[in-house]
Amino acid sequence: MTALAWPAAVAVALVCVATLAVGALGLRLSRTTSDFYVASRVVSPRWNASAIGGEYLSAASFLGVAGLVLAVGADMLWYPIGYTAGYVVLLVLVAAPLRRSGAFTLPDFAEIRMRSPVVRRVASVLVVGIGWLYLLPQFQGAGLALRSATGAPRWVGALIVAGVVVLNVLAGGMRSITLVQAFQYWLKLTAIALPVIFLVATWRADGAPAPPADHTTVSVNAVTVRLADTVRVRVEEPATIIVHGQVDGEPVGGPVQLEPGSAVLAAGSTVTLPEGTPVPRAEEIFGRDGPAPAGGAERGHELYRTYSLLLALLLGTMGLPHVIVRFYTNPDGRGARRTAAAVIGLLGAFYLFPPVYAALGRVYAPDLLLTGRTDTVVLTLPQRVLPGPLGEALSALVMGGAFAAFLSTSSGLTVSVAGVLSQDLLRRRARTGVAGFRAGTILAVAVPAAGTLLATSVGLADTVGLAFAVAASTFCPLLVLGIWWRRLTVTGALAGLAVGGVTAASAAMVTMLGRAPDGLAGALLAQPAAWTVPLSFAVMVVVSLRTPGSMPAGVGRVMTRLHVPEGIRQHHGRAAVPPGRAVGVPIDAASGGLVGAVDRSSPASNRSARAVTLSPGTDRSSPTAGPPGAGSLPPTA
Amino acid sequence: MSTVQSIPGGAAPAATPGGGGGGGASYVEVAASPEFRELRARFRRFVFPMTVLFLAWYFTYVLLAAYAPGFMGIGIVGDINVGLVLGLGQFLSTFVITWLYVRWADREFDTSAAELRARIEGPAPAEAGGESR
Repeated sequence: MTALAWPAAVAVALVCVATLAVGALGLRLSRTTSDFYVASRVVSPRWNASAIGGEYLSAASFLGVAGLVLAVGADMLWYPIGYTAGYVVLLVLVAAPLRRSGAFTLPDFAEIRMRSPVVRRVASVLVVGIGWLYLLPQFQGAGLALRSATGAPRWVGALIVAGVVVLNVLAGGMRSITLVQAFQYWLKLTAIALPVIFLVATWRADGAPAPPADHTTVSVNAVTVRLADTVRVRVEEPATIIVHGQVDGEPVGGPVQLEPGSAVLAAGSTVTLPEGTPVPRAEEIFGRDGPAPAGGAERGHELYRTYSLLLALLLGTMGLPHVIVRFYTNPDGRGARRTAAAVIGLLGAFYLFPPVYAALGRVYAPDLLLTGRTDTVVLTLPQRVLPGPLGEALSALVMGGAFAAFLSTSSGLTVSVAGVLSQDLLRRRARTGVAGFRAGTILAVAVPAAGTLLATSVGLADTVGLAFAVAASTFCPLLVLGIWWRRLTVTGALAGLAVGGVTAASAAMVTMLGRAPDGLAGALLAQPAAWTVPLSFAVMVVVSLRTPGSMPAGVGRVMTRLHVPEGIRQHHGRAAVPPGRAVGVPIDAASGGLVGAVDRSSPASNRSARAVTLSPGTDRSSPTAGPPGAGSLPPTA
Repeated sequence: MSTVQSIPGGAAPAATPGGGGGGGASYVEVAASPEFRELRARFRRFVFPMTVLFLAWYFTYVLLAAYAPGFMGIGIVGDINVGLVLGLGQFLSTFVITWLYVRWADREFDTSAAELRARIEGPAPAEAGGESR
């Protein structure tokens, strides 16, 4: 699997260097921009949407979707849809009211709506947890991608991405310009789309062999593969394969007849699948890190797992920390709506391509089903199908795109997590904003980077799914009920967040440490959303109804503010922040965290003042969010 | 973490008209007004059924994929079967839903919301008064 190390390594190096260079440039630009807030609010929904797409399309999207569709078949098309449709839910239920609330981050929203620092703190802890869960597969994916392309050990890729992200975020780069993130989207789209043109052309020139159907994949051409790890394969139909190595512990050197059931092929064996052979499918991979289920392998209770994951994707998107901040850069609720709609278009366009890789993978790389390395199909297909320099170049392009995905998603997440860490959770130790943010950044990256060494038994898409599940079990009820149900109380919100967060996060931990039992219990833990989301909603509603006394004061005002669109005149010519406060802050409006942190380091301001600065255009209602003193900020600058 | 004190507690907000300028109803009155209730009801009437509908559509697809492989495997043209068409149809329907919603929100919701706001807040010079003490 290590055919073409150099072009891929060069592509990775280029992407990393370019990212750091752009980061450094962004630092200079953001320092010379006198009022970044105003600048950011002239960003059109289209660019803003590209930026969201750039951050959102992560390792799971770039590699995992194609891998799962390859493994499971067209039935898996719901999976990329789920990633896109999460934005539909976000669009119709929360986008505009969330923008009108003036919240920068999820903890901001919690405080504005519930008026409770305790809810804010719980929300902060959840943001950090979800961010870590989501960062982990980014680092894992980088290790996997680099190993597949160059043969480097897995920790190398993880270390590279973690290192670049830390340097970049510490320098204040990357996120400092919306356009850079927007550029990342188009880079990723190009990296995944361009090879498809050549692949499909070659496929047509080959006579357009039909991709084998889902459950009876047959190798179209003979393929030979050397197994890097021992795999247990499931045999559906009798198949004769040629093995030089070991099958079920017996040394073999020639054709082997596999009967329906399962068989173990030892690491180091060379396996040839003659043309027309039904492909035995990997069920479990025994790597250096211990046994792991192969991507897309049947694990029982499939319908439950699917429903649960789909629910997590649909409802979890709104609770991802790096997604929400971007909505603040919209001028108003209407702009937020336009942005979300454009995001759906951009994501939909992107997700059309991974299934093409999957279908062509069935034709040209059925051995990935045998080895279980379906997550690498996007990376390996170009050089398989197109020998020579073109294939090498396209492979390098895809590799660069994959690293762009790791870097941009990780950077966005790291900034969000570091912001919350420094702003809400590390404050006592790190007094000054910038030092706190730096400490937060290191911590934000170090924990998931260490986690990649521990959690090895879960596939890319699965870990991301768990992050969505935790988000869906906590922030989805808080946002939906907070926006649509005025009787939500502080006690109810806290109870729901606690129950949803603890159950979903525990299930995630058990699964990721490989301690989940088999059968239904294992399925319930691996895909918890189907039960933790309703549970969290129910707890929030029931507890709220029983504790009407802890309804936040002035809820009517907040609700009005959330639901009445801004007056058109109100967002013109208003600087949300006096220029002096924004100048020199090396991070943009969308990052929230550092801005908040810097705000706090300034003795003249306090948290509540920030709540007001965060609500341009809605300041008529801002007394709900801030103390009387907050009004002393000049409304115009 | 000393935020509790910094937020005017209790009934204070209810007593203060929203922002003071411009003249017109307070936010609490707005929230209680039939127009505001109507606005929210209108939104709910459109958005909640649509949300339920499209969630049902996604989940039905998964159900079909799991329990009706025969149906999903019915060929239509060449290698294209029902499952593939429905799968791509999900992409398409996602775009259509988005477009429908944005069109509805722009045309109907924003218009009536702007009317409501104009009626509550009165004419434009609202900002002049300012709430800065």
